[in-house]
Amino acid sequence: MTFLADLSMPIVMGILLGGLYAVIALGLSLIFGVVKEINIAHGDLVILGSYFGYVAMTIIGIDPILSLLIGMPLLFGIGFAIQKYLLNRAFKISMDATLIIAFGISIILQNTYQLIWTPFPRGLTTSYSLKSFSAGPIRLPLVYLLNFIVAIVVMLFLREFLRRTYLGKAIRAAAQDRKAAHLMGINTDRVYAFTFAIATALAAIAGVFLGLTFPFTPISGMPFLIIALGVVVLGGLGSIAGTFVGGIAFGLAQTLGGHFFGVAAQMLVAYTMVLVVLAVIPRGIFGR
Amino acid sequence: MGVRGNMKVTIPQLRGGLLPLIAVIVVLALFPIIGVPRDWILYLFLFSNYLAMANMWNLLAGYSGLICLCPAAFIGLAGYTMTVMTWLGLPYYVGIIPGGIVAALFAMLISFPVFRLKGIYFAIGTLVVPEILRFVFLLWKPVGGAIYGRGAGYTVKGVAGVSGSQVYWSALAIGVASIFLMRYILRSKLGSGLAAIRDNDSTAASSGINVFNLKLYSFVIAAFVTGIAGTIFYIYHGYIEPVSAFSIRWLITIMLATVLGGEGTEEGPIVGTIIVIFLHFLLARYAEISLIIQGIILISIMLLAPQGIMGFVRKTKTYQSLLELVAGHGS
Repeated sequence: MTFLADLSMPIVMGILLGGLYAVIALGLSLIFGVVKEINIAHGDLVILGSYFGYVAMTIIGIDPILSLLIGMPLLFGIGFAIQKYLLNRAFKISMDATLIIAFGISIILQNTYQLIWTPFPRGLTTSYSLKSFSAGPIRLPLVYLLNFIVAIVVMLFLREFLRRTYLGKAIRAAAQDRKAAHLMGINTDRVYAFTFAIATALAAIAGVFLGLTFPFTPISGMPFLIIALGVVVLGGLGSIAGTFVGGIAFGLAQTLGGHFFGVAAQMLVAYTMVLVVLAVIPRGIFGR
Repeated sequence: MGVRGNMKVTIPQLRGGLLPLIAVIVVLALFPIIGVPRDWILYLFLFSNYLAMANMWNLLAGYSGLICLCPAAFIGLAGYTMTVMTWLGLPYYVGIIPGGIVAALFAMLISFPVFRLKGIYFAIGTLVVPEILRFVFLLWKPVGGAIYGRGAGYTVKGVAGVSGSQVYWSALAIGVASIFLMRYILRSKLGSGLAAIRDNDSTAASSGINVFNLKLYSFVIAAFVTGIAGTIFYIYHGYIEPVSAFSIRWLITIMLATVLGGEGTEEGPIVGTIIVIFLHFLLARYAEISLIIQGIILISIMLLAPQGIMGFVRKTKTYQSLLELVAGHGS
């Protein structure tokens, strides 16, 4: 029984952490599912969200979660510009070109952060970010619960958006068949730009909650990108429910890996799982 | 794939006689003896080293349809193999070939998971590999001893007395070897097979070409040569530690050199590497700005001239008439 009691902590933590991973992966999944491109710069865009929260908190003095009211439209605009001016053109050259250009964007973003905010790790420390709550015998950080709730809210919102709105339907149509959507009078380039913009707005949310949970540096984008790729591949291409399940699987892999092999090895466990997932079920559990 | 699909010709080949090339190599090899400034030797050392890596990246991305994001894995592993061998009491030059062999064996090992993946999935699979290795070497020390930085940091033993010229010649050798290897591969059965796969892989497969094996061969060859270039770099560098050994910066340099010069052209990596070396030293004092500029160049070249400088030059009339001139002269 003590063994189970010991395990309950990492399991609950892992599930709650999975919420954060799902939010981080959601934007990647959306772009992957609709535009069929892998945005290697997604992790760095998430970190841009974190730094925006940091600036809003330290310089302007507003709460990082509240700052999303400005942060989300800002990243929405940046995402729209990236897809419209760079990736839409690259798309017509080749798939390799989109990958290489996204890689270029990632290099530029990382080094711009380094230039502005130095390589020193930052964190979003607020009045509530250090609080904890009790659930039965265990005490958990409040932020983890917050991450999980936000994940559910964001996913339900995205699902309803894709189902009910005109733009959402256009996005789904373009995802299913680019040519047919084009023939039906959908401006696919524009739809792609909106999709990318929505994905980066989601990255803004992910960035703020990441900053509340973990300290971040200019190069933190890479580890979160890799985990997000694992989540997306495990969950299946463009499936929202799959992304959620994948997020929880990776959250559990990390906390249980930390429990059994030590904190230093927890990322190693998660990364190895990415490779195993890619090799064994590249189409994912919810994949078509 | 688009970039390559646009070029319907079979394999663009390095034309012209071997004589000028050999003359250039002899002059380069004589540089340390005739007392050329040390800075030049350093630039040329890095040029030859990066050239070998860029040539191999070109073999994968430009000719085999494999966007390989893990050259750092081959470089780091080979560097570690050589370093650990010096710790076991062997002279440094003994470790060069085993370094390449370990990188090649590792390529075979990771081919099990990543070769099940196609196109862009392959790229993600290879992206994860150096990150995993970095964690492994942060946690695990192959042999005991002094620590530099975090994790498995080692000085390369027995290189203190090595002259700069020796390291320079080794780098020059691998750089030149990589050029000839590319020439050889592209004219061999492997090269024609790869060209067939690049143009249409299902047609190639139905004509009896073993698509999987040919891609695996070029992956393993690339790992071997990249690994050897990596060991030579670390002999010069003098110490190795996981964060820089498995750093994404290797990929940035190699990818930029290849894409800038022209992916899928034989001269591309040579031209690209020259420019990358220029950039590195021009911007050496401004590390972050340097990388930002490299990122901007990478994006611009991809959007404006996706076939790189050589792809662009090939299309110009001057180059075409120059070719005719050379061809006419040769016959």
